[in-house]
Order: sequence, then C-alpha cells, then structure tokens
Amino acid sequence: MIPLTIRALDSSNDDPYVIRLRSDKSQIENEADFWIRKMPTVGAVATSATKTIYFPNNTSSELDGDVLLVTPTKGLANRLIRAASSHNTFLVTEQCDQLCVMCSQPPKKHHHDLFAELTTAALLAPKGAIIGISGGEPTLHKADLFNLLTDVLSKRPDLQFHVLTNAQHFSENDLHFLKDKINRNIVWGIPIYSDVPDVHDQIVGKTGAFENLLENLTLFIRAGARLEIRTVIMQQNARTLPNLAKFLSKQLGNAETWAVMQLENIGYARKNWADIFYDHSVDFTPIAEGLRAAILNELPTKLYNFPLCTIPSEFREFAVPSISDWKKKNIDICKNCNALNSCSGFFEWYDHTNGFRQVGAL
Amino acid sequence: MTVRFPAKFRDVDAGSIFMSNEAGDFFFTNEQFLDAYAAGTTTEADDQFLQNQGFQSQSSNDLYFYSYLSRLVKRQTYRTELSYIILVPTLRCDLSCSYCQVSRVAENAIGFDWSEETTEHVINFLDGLETKSIKIEFQGGEPTIRMDLLSRISSFCRQKFDEAQFVVCTNLQRLDEEVLTYYDNEDVTISTSLDGDINTHTKNRTVDHEITDRFFANLDFVLKRFGPNKVSALPTIELSEDFDPTALYEAYASYGFKSIYFRPVNYQGFARKKHSDSIDNFALWRKVYFNFLDLLISEAADNPNPIDEYYFTLCLKRFFQAGHDSHVDLRNPNPFGRDYLLVDYDGQIYPTDEARMLARVGQVDLSMGKIGSNFDTEKLNQLNYLNMNNIHEECIHCAYQYACGTDLVDDLSRYGRVDIPKVDTWFCRKQLAIFDRIAGDLASDNRNVLSVYERWMGLPDQTLSEGIIRYDPTNH
Repeated sequence: MIPLTIRALDSSNDDPYVIRLRSDKSQIENEADFWIRKMPTVGAVATSATKTIYFPNNTSSELDGDVLLVTPTKGLANRLIRAASSHNTFLVTEQCDQLCVMCSQPPKKHHHDLFAELTTAALLAPKGAIIGISGGEPTLHKADLFNLLTDVLSKRPDLQFHVLTNAQHFSENDLHFLKDKINRNIVWGIPIYSDVPDVHDQIVGKTGAFENLLENLTLFIRAGARLEIRTVIMQQNARTLPNLAKFLSKQLGNAETWAVMQLENIGYARKNWADIFYDHSVDFTPIAEGLRAAILNELPTKLYNFPLCTIPSEFREFAVPSISDWKKKNIDICKNCNALNSCSGFFEWYDHTNGFRQVGAL
Repeated sequence: MTVRFPAKFRDVDAGSIFMSNEAGDFFFTNEQFLDAYAAGTTTEADDQFLQNQGFQSQSSNDLYFYSYLSRLVKRQTYRTELSYIILVPTLRCDLSCSYCQVSRVAENAIGFDWSEETTEHVINFLDGLETKSIKIEFQGGEPTIRMDLLSRISSFCRQKFDEAQFVVCTNLQRLDEEVLTYYDNEDVTISTSLDGDINTHTKNRTVDHEITDRFFANLDFVLKRFGPNKVSALPTIELSEDFDPTALYEAYASYGFKSIYFRPVNYQGFARKKHSDSIDNFALWRKVYFNFLDLLISEAADNPNPIDEYYFTLCLKRFFQAGHDSHVDLRNPNPFGRDYLLVDYDGQIYPTDEARMLARVGQVDLSMGKIGSNFDTEKLNQLNYLNMNNIHEECIHCAYQYACGTDLVDDLSRYGRVDIPKVDTWFCRKQLAIFDRIAGDLASDNRNVLSVYERWMGLPDQTLSEGIIRYDPTNH
C-alpha cells in the first residue's frame, strides 16, 4: 500500500498551499515548483525561493513530479497527483445525497472546500494525465465542479477527467455545459445497478433515483457526452445483470465502457459484507449471460476488481487490472501465479476468510 | 404521448413474424401481436416490451426516444476520410483468365503502365491525404510485373503515414527474390485467386497444366513461408448445375484457409463477353450457394474454428451489429469517392474497382478525372443520393433495410440504369435470399445451426440463442 498522506515539515503556520516537486532543477517552471533532493541522512528536502519543506519518510525519487497539498499546521502533505501513477483521483467532497449499501467512502455532513487548490493542482499535472474526480457526490457542488473542469481544460487541453457522479443533479440547463467541446476530455462515470427500478433504488438508498437517473441520462445522450456505466455486482442485483446488459446495450449503446465491478470491502461494504457480497467465483452464470448480451450488441464491457483466477477462462479477456496501485495487494495463493501482471489483484483490505471460494494460481 | 418509430415486418419460416426498424432493432413474434400492433390494440405489457426493444417511447424527449436516434445515427454513419486506395500500376498480365474482369492486356504490351508523370502524381496525391493510417491495394493486371512501382509507393507510404498496410492481388506466378523480399515486409499481405481443385483452376484461369502446377507450388511455398494469416485467397465461381461444393471446400481446407468468399462470375468487364448467361441466373446461384452453405454448416459440426463463407458472415454481423462497413459492396449509405477510390494504369480515378470495368466496356464512364487534376465529383454526387437504401421505395418498407445496402455499380452493369425497382435487381434478390435464410434460422432456433453462426461470428457459445428476442403476447 502506498500512503497518499505523508509527513511534510514546514516551519511556518501558513495556509495550505499546492506545490510540485522537481528533482531536476532545470525543470523548474513556476513558483509552485520546489527543487527536491535527498537529505544526507534520511528523507528528502524541497526548497523554493522562500520556503523549505522536509519529508522525513520519503525519498526524493519517489516524490519527483508529484503535486502536493501541504498543510503546515498539521505537518502533512496530500499527494494529490502522483506523477508515476495512472490512478490519481481528487475527492472533491464527502457529502452525498445517496446512501449506497456498499459505499466505500461513506458520506459526511460537512463540506471542506478545496476546489481552488485542486484547480491549481490539476494545472500542474504531468502532460496527458487522466485525473479522476470522486466523492461523495461531486455534483452537489456543480458550479464549482464545472468551473474547475472549464478552467483546467481550457488551459490544459492535453488532460482528461473522469468524473464519478450519480447523475441525480443535472437539468436541461446543463446541456450547454455538456455540449461544450471540453467534454471531449471528460468521461462521466455513472452507476446503474439494475434495470429494475426498485433494485437500483434500494441499493442507492433513495426512492425515485432510477427514474431520475434515466431522465438525466437523456441529457448526456443529447449532448453526445462520453459515458462510462458502472455496475457493482452484489447479491441484490446479480440476477438482474443479464437484463441490465440488454437494457444498456439498447438504450445506452453509445457508452464507451460498461464497467462491471466487484465489491471493495471497506466502508459500508465491509459492514454489510455478508448481506451483499456476491461470490462470482462460485456462480458466474449471470455475469456470463450479461457478457454474452454485451458482446452480441457490441457494448464495450470490462470486469473491474475481478481477480483472473475467479473468472472462467473464456471471459478473462474482459478483466482489467483495475485496483489502484496504492491499495492493491496479492494474497498467498498469488505466489505461484504467472498472471500477476494482467490481474487486478486484491484490495488491500480484502479478507480471504469471507472472500472468493474459488481461487488458484494460473 | 407514446411515440412509435417506423417499424417493418416480414413473414419468415416457422410461422414467425420478423419485426424490425431502421435503427437495427428486431424481434420475432406472431401474427396475433402484429395484428394488435397494426390495430393499435396493444396491451400495457406489449407497450412495455416495444419500449424495451427500441420500437417506441413515452414522449419525444425521453431516454427511449433519444437512444433510438443514437442507434439510427450509428447505423447511418460512414467514414469520410479517404484511407483506402486501390492502385493499378499496370494493366499487363501474364495470364488470361476466362472471366478476367478488368480487360487485362498481354504481358509485353506497351503503354499500359503508369508513366513517370502519373507515378509522381500518385505520390503527390498520397502526400496530400489527411489520414494517419492508409491501406493500399495493388491490383492489375498483375502488379508484381512492376515491383519497382510497388516498392516506391510503399516506401513513400511508410514514411508519410503512422500506419500503412499493403495488399498485393497477385496470380502468384512470379516469386523471384525481389518479390519475396517485398513480401517479407510485415505490412504486406498477399491476396490470390484459388478457384477450387486443380482441374477447376486450370479450366478457369491457366489453361496450361504447367502454369497451374506452378501456381499450386507457389501457393504452397508462400503459405509455408508466411502462414495463412498473411495469405488470403478468393475463388471466382462459375455457376452450373454440376458445381461441386466439396471440391471447393476441400481445396480451401487443405491449405488451412478459414474463410471462402463464394463469389460468382461478375457480369462485368471482359467477363461479360464470355459469360453472358451470368446476367440472370439467380435461381441457379440460389441453389448452388445454399448447397455450399449447407456443406459448410455440416463440416463445421465439432470444429471450434470452422471455415465460413465470408459474405454470409458479413450479412450475419450486419444483421445484429452496426459498423461492419469495410466491405464496400454492402453498406449503407455507400457514397462514391469518399473513403476509398482507385487509380487506374492511365491515371484515371474511379470510385470503385467495378466502376473502372464499366468504363472499359464502354457502358458508363464513372471516372472522377485524372490524377494530378481536380476531381470531378458532380456526376458522383448525383449518384450518391441514390446510393443509400433509405430512399428507395421497396427498401424503406423492407424489414432487412437496416442490415442491407445498395450496389449501384452492379445495377448499372446488369441493367444499364440505376432506377429499376430494387426488388427486380440481382442485388436485392440475393440479399433477400440471404437475410431470409438468416431470419428463418434464427426464428426456428435450431441450436446446431445457431452454434455454427456463433462460431462464424466469433461469439461465445449460446450468445445467439440467448440474444434473440421472441415475443408471444399471450405469455405476458
């Protein structure tokens, strides 16, 4: 596991600020850039014209190119963008209007606004980076979110955003934004758990959510926005997956990806594990049927968080190594496996005693 | 208020009604449902079904309405970027096949190759293309007679485009060091003609047994050297009552080919003089073609990767999916001179390979002008309006319209005009026969046949059986 919050010692009591670390002095471009090099003993030091920051627990090479939010009063820095990683996500709010049974990031009441800092950070991202936006529900702060996207993409057209949203908070007025050309660089990741309205509504803990979702998805289709549909598979919705595949193939066939996802056992998912975990390694039938419908109708489908050994061989090509590097682990049975490079692996917090029954080295 | 999208229907075998729309949605049902649909007496369950299947929406502003439009657009979208060029550097050939479609000339004829000026114009033309990825098909005559031109064009394309592919359509008579060195390039593939067993091939193409032997020896040689992924073969079929499907099948199977394009003699070019009976032998084609298809199905029995008939698989894919538009004789819309064209030996530009043949036999000149000067597209623009099936009276009522296309060049070559009723054309009759066969097989749910179709389409086992929608209103 790679820590995303690190010790960062700045003797000031300044407000939080965003910096980018450069080990090559010639790459320093602006005042956010700090020159980082190793300390004679342990850790690293970064300097600008006016500031010095010590990183006691990190090396200069692992932080090179990273964009950090430094909070001097706490002696900490958040690694907002890790240059070496393709999994960088901004958590823009912890507020949410839904209460999903498997939420990995349970909502909080208060919003700690960081849009200004995140905008600065995105502008410092490496060329061509893909930045995830997540929450909570990001569109609860829709104006700020749209401003961030517009600001960054108008200055950095090389970047791409992937915004995870429940799509509950869009209206006809947003068509203009969704049609803007910056949307070529934005993929909207929207969860649909079932084609049966009640099943979806119960999973997200909000009556009428499905109906509202369909209405708002119409806006995305009209705008020609880029869509990724996400479906976490659970006991609650596994049996409806074949019909969901048919529904999506037909009504949302322009989606770039349908991501069928296994559960991440953290947050509510850990608490509700026994009631929601669907062990596809024991019964892959509904997923296989869903995949066949998606294949026939050419809906581009991927399996996220499905370790390869848990999938029948004919469907392994659909699995992607989806678990972010910083929260990925291998378990005992992985030791003799030849497929580790193409495998999702397991979540850091995965507990094999209540996990997949059918696993084995490939 | 409920919005119903235009729907069409057709009786198919097994007492089924096939219902479809322009966006490519379809299902099988019975007469009772069709009657209710037509009379406007569908039940709530019927309406829910129709909405789910993409045949209606609750308003002209909901998800079902816009998703229908998206599917419709997807079916109608075509490539506009010019990225596929057929080049004919020479018309000379060292064979004289009985049905040669291009009026080849003798190997030692003079004045039937690109001039230096034409060659330079071709290179300038390629240089002006916007595409990043190009496919060049060298046709003839026999293109390997001018290896110098093939190498020159290929070298240019490799440095100009991010991705370049070259196909050499050859009779495989010459495989000298220069030719082999060229074939060794990874971006080159070989396409040749193989009409069946030795006797058929000799009768049709080589006349001389010695030449036939060299062809088969060379085919063996290139397959051993490069494998079947780099070498493809096409037959030209002479239709007759005593056509032997097994001989054709065996010939292809023995070389490890995975696909056979059952391509009857085309009523075009040089072929027209010797095969005047090919203008209207539809009944014979139908009999021979489906015999051959049945043979392929029975041979496919337990084979995970069975040999298919290329065109039938293409029709199957178009039946279920949008976007299978790389075969330029079956797509819709099918505008001339947009994403592909041909440069002839004399620098004349034609919208298709067949169009140059029509010009050569003096039937109609569809030339777009000469390379190096501006394109004359006025004539083609007039034709292009007709080159989509969405506007033809018979087509708009046809349940297979979404999967079908138009072939104006074929209409011109057979009938000398483009406006005869589509149902009377060879193209339409052929398409109806194939689509009826497909719809009939899907309706009858014959697991053995569907399993073969799944393998031909590269789909997992059971995909078609599960994917075909059937609706019986009495069960809902």
